[in-house]
Amino acid sequence: MHPFAYVVTSPIKIDIWSDIACPWCYIGKRHLEAGLAALGDDAPDVEIEYHSFELAPDTPVDFEGSEIDFLAKHKGLPAERVQQMLQHVTGVAANAGLDYDFDALKHTKTLKAHELLHFAKEQGLQLELSERLFRAYFTEGRHVGRIDELLELGAEVGLDADAARDALESGRYAADVQADITQAGAYGINGVPFFVFEGKYGVSGAQPAEVFTQVLTQVAEEREGAAA
Amino acid sequence: MSAETRTTDAAAPAPFTMVAGDPAAMVCEDDVCYIPDPR
Repeated sequence: MHPFAYVVTSPIKIDIWSDIACPWCYIGKRHLEAGLAALGDDAPDVEIEYHSFELAPDTPVDFEGSEIDFLAKHKGLPAERVQQMLQHVTGVAANAGLDYDFDALKHTKTLKAHELLHFAKEQGLQLELSERLFRAYFTEGRHVGRIDELLELGAEVGLDADAARDALESGRYAADVQADITQAGAYGINGVPFFVFEGKYGVSGAQPAEVFTQVLTQVAEEREGAAA
Repeated sequence: MSAETRTTDAAAPAPFTMVAGDPAAMVCEDDVCYIPDPR
């Protein structure tokens, strides 16, 4: 009997450390979704919680220039190498069904986006907002560092704009963002995306969908064994 | 974000077991995205 056939318990918990400005985090999200979908009707229920990881806290909210400008001029990386990397990422994203547009991308600080994700978690809308922010940043060239723009995006997934504005302007979720980052440090997480399944298995990077399928299957089998 | 191969810092003890997966899976750290060296 398949491990998912009769074991009905709580959803499998998946904790994900991620940044909206991380191209491999969006790709990794798609790969995880594909890994789940590959299990078809046997796919387990999962509970996904996103945790903050601010990749570049020194990034200005309003950086005037392209992603290439930022990396080449602000970070001193060779422009040719940056272009090659962006082309590579764009190709991998396309294979995952994502239409990255680095020419339109607005490089910015993601702290307020993380704060809004914590607010959205309280509203039960974190997954919806995560997807909306990734798409806004990587495919639509939206400015996810500005509060007004974040409020528009939040409203699209059902967040109350006034409450969200209060949350962002007060900065009351900044401590939650920092707590996630501190937790990542305690776990030895240096890069994202980083996935933790059931608090038992860590998966680093935008792994292929098959890896996620295997981990989910293993967790389900272990549950079955524990329930037997 | 750029691409390079680099050695990751030694991981602190974590309450979970790392899944090896595909060693070429990319991660981002700071503004740099890279393939971590396997340990």
